[in-house]
Amino acid sequence: MAGATTSGAAGSKRWRTALLWAWVLSVVAFMYMPALSLLLASSTSSRYFIFPITRWGFDWWEKTFNSIEIHILFKTSISIALCVTVIAVVIAFFGALAFARYDWKGRSLFQKIVLLPIFFPQSVLGLALLLWFNAMGIPLSWKSTVFAHLVWIVPVVTLVISIQVYSFDPALEEAAFDLGATRWQVLREVTLPVLFPGLFSGALFAFLLSWGNFPLSLFTTGADTTLPEYLYAKMIAGYTPGVPVLGTVSTMMAAILLLGGYGLIVLRRRARLK
Amino acid sequence: MDCTQEGPVSRGMNTRTPVIELRQITKSFGSFTAVHTIDLVIGEGEFFTIVGPSGSGKTTVLRMLAGLETPTSGDILLRGKRINDVPANRRPTCMVFQSLALFPHRTVGENIEFPLKIRDVSKADRKARALQLMEQLRLPADYYGKNVTKCSGGERQRVALARALAYNPDILFFDEPLSAIDYKLRKTLEKELKDIHRETGKTFIYITHSLEEAMVMSDRIGVMRQGRLVQVGTPNEIYTAPNSKFVSEFIGDVNIIPVAINGTGKLHSAELGAEFTSPPIPAGFRSGHLVVRPESIRIVERSDSAENRLSGRLYNEYALGSRIQYQVRVGEQVFIVERLRQQAFQGGIDSEVQIGWNARDSILVGD
Repeated sequence: MAGATTSGAAGSKRWRTALLWAWVLSVVAFMYMPALSLLLASSTSSRYFIFPITRWGFDWWEKTFNSIEIHILFKTSISIALCVTVIAVVIAFFGALAFARYDWKGRSLFQKIVLLPIFFPQSVLGLALLLWFNAMGIPLSWKSTVFAHLVWIVPVVTLVISIQVYSFDPALEEAAFDLGATRWQVLREVTLPVLFPGLFSGALFAFLLSWGNFPLSLFTTGADTTLPEYLYAKMIAGYTPGVPVLGTVSTMMAAILLLGGYGLIVLRRRARLK
Repeated sequence: MDCTQEGPVSRGMNTRTPVIELRQITKSFGSFTAVHTIDLVIGEGEFFTIVGPSGSGKTTVLRMLAGLETPTSGDILLRGKRINDVPANRRPTCMVFQSLALFPHRTVGENIEFPLKIRDVSKADRKARALQLMEQLRLPADYYGKNVTKCSGGERQRVALARALAYNPDILFFDEPLSAIDYKLRKTLEKELKDIHRETGKTFIYITHSLEEAMVMSDRIGVMRQGRLVQVGTPNEIYTAPNSKFVSEFIGDVNIIPVAINGTGKLHSAELGAEFTSPPIPAGFRSGHLVVRPESIRIVERSDSAENRLSGRLYNEYALGSRIQYQVRVGEQVFIVERLRQQAFQGGIDSEVQIGWNARDSILVGD
């Protein structure tokens, strides 16, 4: 009797484990199959995407990488993302200090106002910015897009860095100051290094969110084109397997950046815990 | 009862040269007054401890001395010079924080060297000084490159103290650094700190909520309550001559009997229905408390000549190691009586006992 119960419990436990794994695998497949199909679509030698693929090949990869138009695309997208990263991290660092480190009158209002742009529909925000740039007489180019991205990305990065700032012991700054450091030395020797993991993740967020952003770019780049914009335009008219090639490259760049960044943080932590 | 026979400033301050002086210091945060008109002189090389419950303003006093807060009114003098507006990084003082505030991204060595690095001391000299301090504080030399977050509680204490000493301040402040340490290690570190104090000859100003801790280390103790300094004196003075019920209660177990002067000019307790012989009653005394320490009360044998006696029932007993504590219920009040283990009371729980004490072993205080 007792044995029967035990084996029954073990059997049901095995079933539960199997179900759990099936569930996890299907979720993972659901999330990552589209990215994989992108890679498949890019590996054809024919002009159109026909499944199953009859002629495999990387001709479109070569064509894409040799195109000057694509080089300019990459240059534009990278320029925007880099500018956004640098400016966003600087603004968000001070924003996060105000958000999480210092207690001041109006902090709670500041916290709400800063986070609000995250929840704006991005296409509406893009349109609003377009109208605003026009009204101000600011010419549209990739530079105006930097500004547009910042409106949405700075709040996100502020939030990311704030998480790190919340766990920061203010006594560290006081101790450094008390030990003879100037305000600037406190910032350089204590605050920045201790908050570095937060700043680093903030920078990754900024770059990746800018890199993949479509709605804000669509309204604000003017004559310039970013990678997501180009992909969209080509899908509307003039599809070639060059589109999935670019899509794959763009996704892989983001993935490499993310994994590289994660690896760097892990290595740094391991070196510290020696 | 009025406790101003002697001002809190003068008491116990012997022939030392004053190094730091607080004159009528008040600190307010909005409508809340954290520190209320404090006058205090601390002598060169003194180990001074400020004791008080949380919220009594002791940390605020220390932060003002360190230059991390500015007094709302009053003056702070360092060797006679007003330093109210000198920021913390330009005062010859250094604080060991409650959280220790060790830099988590630096090694033990880098933490200790921090104040030297700020002063542009060469790398070799920095390291030599750090190793010297580590030796003085009984930190193994191979800890130099160890990550500071990997150190144990006691080691972290020593690193924090070494870092403060590396700054070479005239005065060291301690903001309850031992509060998170377990009892046994805390006792060891208290003694070590006292040794370091003697070796360096620097002025130490320490803050704690434990008067027991203050007793072990200090030359003098100041007791704070609700932003005011209520008594200053040597550990012995604080223990044997507390000037209020508050101070007397602060040191562990104590028996306190509310008393008032009755018609015949004697001390009388309404609750216990008894009269007491007491030390001299100050003029103008109406009502207050009679304080008797547990070791001054005894269970009275027949031949005893105790001047004050009460009858009660032995309610409970606790072994405290070298001593045994008895709780004796007299009416509604529980008295605490302590005896050495060798002189343990032979009667059992619930036996009727008489407790007694001599007038000179009791202290009469106000509220």
